[in-house]
Amino acid sequence: MRLVREPDSILSDWRARALRVESEIGKVVLGQARVIRLLTIATFARGHVLLEGDVGVGKTTLLRALARAIGGAFERIEGTIDLMPADLIYHAHLGEDGKPRIDPGPLLKQGEDLSVFFFNEINRARPQVHSLLLRLMAERSLSAFNREYHFPHVQVFADRNRVEREETFELPAAARDRFLMELQVAMPADDAARRSLVFDPRFHNVDTLLGEVAAGILEPEALETVARVIQIGITTSPALEAYVMALWEAVREPHAHGIHVDNVDMARLVQGGASPRGMSYLVRAARVRAWIENRDMVVPEDVRAVFPEVMAHRIFIDPVYEMRREALVGDLIAGVFARVPAP
Amino acid sequence: MRAPPRLPAGLPLGLALLLAPAPASAQVRAVDLYAPRPFGYTIGDTIDLSAEIALDAPFLLDPAALPRPRALTYWLDLRDVRLDDEGVADGVQRYTLHLTYQTFYAPLEPKRLDLPALALTAVDGGRRIELAVPSWSFLMSPLREIVASAGGTTMALRPDMAPPLIATAGTRRHLMLALVGALLALLALAWHLGWGPFGRRRARPFARAARMVAAEIAAAPASPPAYGRALVALHRAFDATAGAGVLAEDLPGFFSAHPAFAPVEGEVRRLFAASRRLFFGEDPAAAARELAPEDVLALARRLRAVERGSA
Repeated sequence: MRLVREPDSILSDWRARALRVESEIGKVVLGQARVIRLLTIATFARGHVLLEGDVGVGKTTLLRALARAIGGAFERIEGTIDLMPADLIYHAHLGEDGKPRIDPGPLLKQGEDLSVFFFNEINRARPQVHSLLLRLMAERSLSAFNREYHFPHVQVFADRNRVEREETFELPAAARDRFLMELQVAMPADDAARRSLVFDPRFHNVDTLLGEVAAGILEPEALETVARVIQIGITTSPALEAYVMALWEAVREPHAHGIHVDNVDMARLVQGGASPRGMSYLVRAARVRAWIENRDMVVPEDVRAVFPEVMAHRIFIDPVYEMRREALVGDLIAGVFARVPAP
Repeated sequence: MRAPPRLPAGLPLGLALLLAPAPASAQVRAVDLYAPRPFGYTIGDTIDLSAEIALDAPFLLDPAALPRPRALTYWLDLRDVRLDDEGVADGVQRYTLHLTYQTFYAPLEPKRLDLPALALTAVDGGRRIELAVPSWSFLMSPLREIVASAGGTTMALRPDMAPPLIATAGTRRHLMLALVGALLALLALAWHLGWGPFGRRRARPFARAARMVAAEIAAAPASPPAYGRALVALHRAFDATAGAGVLAEDLPGFFSAHPAFAPVEGEVRRLFAASRRLFFGEDPAAAARELAPEDVLALARRLRAVERGSA
């Protein structure tokens, strides 16, 4: 097979495609270079992504643009409080002949080639729906019509806003652990970007705007193989492995490593988390980042670049500090990188 | 084998005489009483007597026979009894017995009084002998005349004695010395722990790193582990200077925060590139091509000079 015979040329060819995806999305989503880079990394690490952010900062536009650039079948669903698992799988309606009919629902409509499944406002859906999603994300399969459906190429993107808390259901820790990344989407910091988002008529109609994005740059069927070639082709040295292990240790026992966060009892801040699965996701994402940076080895910068998004939601902190979670975990991670020496 | 020498015929009688109980005076060598002046005592005065007692060696004074401090008569108290054992010398057991009496006799005119003799016992296993500390007499005087010749109330209380002043100069000097010592110890502790102004004394991470690099490179110029340790020493110095871990991507921030290091920017970048190749690319040869071990030493010395501000 050609992919295995010439991994180097495959990697550089696909790297060009990955950069093209970034530039295509960057045309329609302004001021989000870091988020776009991380989404690209997630795509090539074959990981699911949860986006968080304020209302109207462009989460949906970003994901639609990404889905268009990746290509392949795309489905989306809005989370609501009365959405049940069956609503994702089946579509029940009355046929033209007046008889009730059961057709495949959003998840099955595109068949097993589904490449991007976008779950909007995931925290409005009930825990039953979360558990269905858990299986889809972990095993890429589900049971319907008395048989198993497999989705070998599916990648789940979900989003939620942090503003509203009424009529929402917190995602269970197991479901959050299966997301490769939790991305915070903030307003563009750049003044020029803000200005054009508000005044440029180009950004007023999302559908025509998305038409500017070149469609199907990546082939969803090949992504799985490319991802595997990346994981094999990018090396990690013993020094880097020791560094990652030291980071892991420092996150779990920050007080033992002299990490300090203002007004926090470090001995009780971290209750657990940072699972082995999380650490393996971290290394996967770091390898992809090294590949996009055109390197054949992972360096500490790669680990640092993806660490907050991959690890922050896997660190469980004391309930006393839960309300200030984002700031405290951010400080904790900054402290870990300041204290753990590399190499 | 020789026969035992024959004993003279008169010996058994002599032995029997020796073994028979000897008179007490033979075991008591001496009881000498040492006393203070025998006059000029008034009511409430104490009198210290001491008696030196010499016994023949196997005899010991029986402690149970010593007098206990008590009121001897209505006017005389025995306040204290102390027996010092002087040990055995030349077959003589010597003791010193200290006795303290207090007299409460109120004489109207000078009057001779007696301290009574004390009976003691010495024992030697089975035998007991009596001995006596002799009596002693002294003259007691009244405190005041019988009929008041001067006017005024004779029984008026005298004013209290002024309290005596205690010499404090020595204590004061010791206190000052102790305070100075404590202050010096505190300063030493503050310096050691970096408290207060000592906390701002400049750490010199690159000076330390330069020493370590020189040691590593001199010990094994061509060995990759020594080269690696030299690079790690420099990395730790960068971390200590920046106050946080410095990675290759952080160098622009490092140079803008520490502009003094700008002249060596090119070499520092080569250092980070070499360490990336060595540690993460596992390619020591490429690392050494990027920055040779001698160059690492030269760079460490330049960084030390920059840190000192003398570059």
